[in-house]
Amino acid sequence: MTVELWASILAGALALAAPLVIAGVGEGFVERAGRLNLGIEGMMILGALTGVFVANLAGPVVGLLAAAVVGLALAALMNVLVYALKANEIVVGLAITMLGLGLSTFLYQLWIPAGTTNVSVPTISKIDLGPLTDIPLVGPMLFGQSPIVYGTVVLLALAWAVMRFTRFGLQVRATGADAGSAALRGVRPRKVGERALLIGGALAGVAGGTVALAVIGSFTPGMTAGRGYIVLAIVIMGRMSPIGIALGGLLFGFLQSFSLLSQSTSIQLPSELFTTLPYLVTLIVLVLTSRAELRRQAARLRLS
Amino acid sequence: MTRLRLRTAAVVAAVVVAVLLVATALILLAGANPLVGLRGLVEGVSSSPYRIGELLMGAVPIAIVALTLIPALRAGVFSVGAEGQVVFGAIAATAVILGIRDLTGDTAPAVLYLPAGAIAGAIGGALFALLPAWLAAQWRVNVILSTLLLNYVATGFLGWTLRTWLSTPETTATPQSEKLPDASTLPDLITGTRAHVGILLIVVALVVFEWWRRTPSATRVSVFAERPALALRLGATRAGTLYRTMLVSGAGAGLVGWMQVAGVNDRLMGSVSGGVGFSGLAVALLGGMLPFGIVLAALFFSALTVGAVGMQSATGTIPSSIADVIKGVLLLGVAVIAALRPGVVPSAHPAPAPAPDDGAFAPDELAQTAEDAIVADEDVVAPAADAAAEPPAAADRTEEVAR
Repeated sequence: MTVELWASILAGALALAAPLVIAGVGEGFVERAGRLNLGIEGMMILGALTGVFVANLAGPVVGLLAAAVVGLALAALMNVLVYALKANEIVVGLAITMLGLGLSTFLYQLWIPAGTTNVSVPTISKIDLGPLTDIPLVGPMLFGQSPIVYGTVVLLALAWAVMRFTRFGLQVRATGADAGSAALRGVRPRKVGERALLIGGALAGVAGGTVALAVIGSFTPGMTAGRGYIVLAIVIMGRMSPIGIALGGLLFGFLQSFSLLSQSTSIQLPSELFTTLPYLVTLIVLVLTSRAELRRQAARLRLS
Repeated sequence: MTRLRLRTAAVVAAVVVAVLLVATALILLAGANPLVGLRGLVEGVSSSPYRIGELLMGAVPIAIVALTLIPALRAGVFSVGAEGQVVFGAIAATAVILGIRDLTGDTAPAVLYLPAGAIAGAIGGALFALLPAWLAAQWRVNVILSTLLLNYVATGFLGWTLRTWLSTPETTATPQSEKLPDASTLPDLITGTRAHVGILLIVVALVVFEWWRRTPSATRVSVFAERPALALRLGATRAGTLYRTMLVSGAGAGLVGWMQVAGVNDRLMGSVSGGVGFSGLAVALLGGMLPFGIVLAALFFSALTVGAVGMQSATGTIPSSIADVIKGVLLLGVAVIAALRPGVVPSAHPAPAPAPDDGAFAPDELAQTAEDAIVADEDVVAPAADAAAEPPAAADRTEEVAR
């Protein structure tokens, strides 16, 4: 394998990691607040469809905004069901995913009936960074990316700052650590949980939008291919911290990019191994993380 | 009591109305007449014996997966891995059947083939379920996530299997295995339909389930979900409960894998699971984790899938994927209905076991209680519950937050 191939694998890793990190940052808020959103996959796929549909009418940036609104709406629905109607969070999450996958396919088939060609929309245009892109190897990797990748970096910093320095961030962490004690000190766990989920939903919608609008510019049913679940694994792996989530996203992005690009080389390995590898490695890292967490807990119990 | 019942009836009615409204809205959105659509749905299910056969053939695998998932769900082990277990059961059954054919030179009778295929399928599914159970028992790996990820691993393994060691020598459009010998396939139950005798297995599953419900094991499993410490005194350890419930669900899913191979396609194909695993989970919840409800819900799910095709051909504009949307809405409704009957679905954030303060617990039992309280929550990965469940650690957790 040549150096150029490795460079393009790494460049692809950044691009593929972006949607995972965007949704992961949102899920980080959700899990920090002591909740769980299993509906990410459904929010992402509906976000992707909405993104493409709106981008077709009003351009890709508006498309991403519309995707966020769809994610937000699904999160609001989930909030009503979980808090007002006391439904089980896990079941509601799975149902949202089922609903999202079904509804996106249904609407897509109505929009583009079988036999007609798929609609292709303009993708988010790249910013020309001039001579920086011409730096060999590093140039295309760091400076030739879609603005979405740079936006993700900004989002990470923002999420870190919000969690660390704002009142809301403190409330989220307090609710997640001990909802009872937080409530005694004047935090409203329900309100905090609801807001965290709204953030998570909006970001999941955007993440879905970027899956469709960053490079491809069209929608196909099931195109998120389980990324919503990978996000959950990444957030647990990264211990809900922005840095951890970014690293987890990069790991998965790298494996996926590797599996996409190395098939074209002379390496003779079954192609299924490459497509399965990202999920397999995620599972292994999940096991390692759980093991470390268990040891930490055991140590704490021993100390007390 | 009557008030609760009234409220339940009101909520159920509201859910039914909501589902109907969504269905009508979707049909109108597709530019069709809801009544024509409804007629297409009904005719799609009932217009001919063939259709009824399709209905049964679709419902039984879902019902079996759902029934065998109940112990795990009642124990609070939220396995989403039936999909992958179906795949592994199908692979194991195909491999064993083809292996017997090669060994005996295709002279083996159906008496040998059928049990061998069924057992191989069940074992294949159970072994694949053992992996997440072991990971959860050993290192507390979240069962939802491990089973979800393993579904993708199973799909990859199936693709590789169909391309290499089980592929057919003929050239075919899609990768598939060799055709199974005739003696190993399940004969048709109703001639002229695709319904095979395998659908009678639902009776076996129901009988076994009714028997299990009355055993001490069922009680222990239910207690385990609510009060792990009490379950431990009744003899249900965490690891034991995990292994047993996951093995049962895996075996059931694997059996379904064999049924799909030997009854429907007569060969292993990439589409063998076809969403049966996820539908099984949804049906188990929709049916309130009770046999009667599950059978009804499975028939309903299958009717939606089969009828949606009829709806598509009757109106010409409604995509049959409308069935998936309605299933999602239904599952949402189930979550709301289940909230009225606590205990039917394990709560996402169960209240931690009260701290033993009467001195009745020995110190090591005390640690065990704290640990078990965490266990109850591990499926949800809620740091909140962790902290709440460990009184000693809660203090430094709060410090962490303050910092």
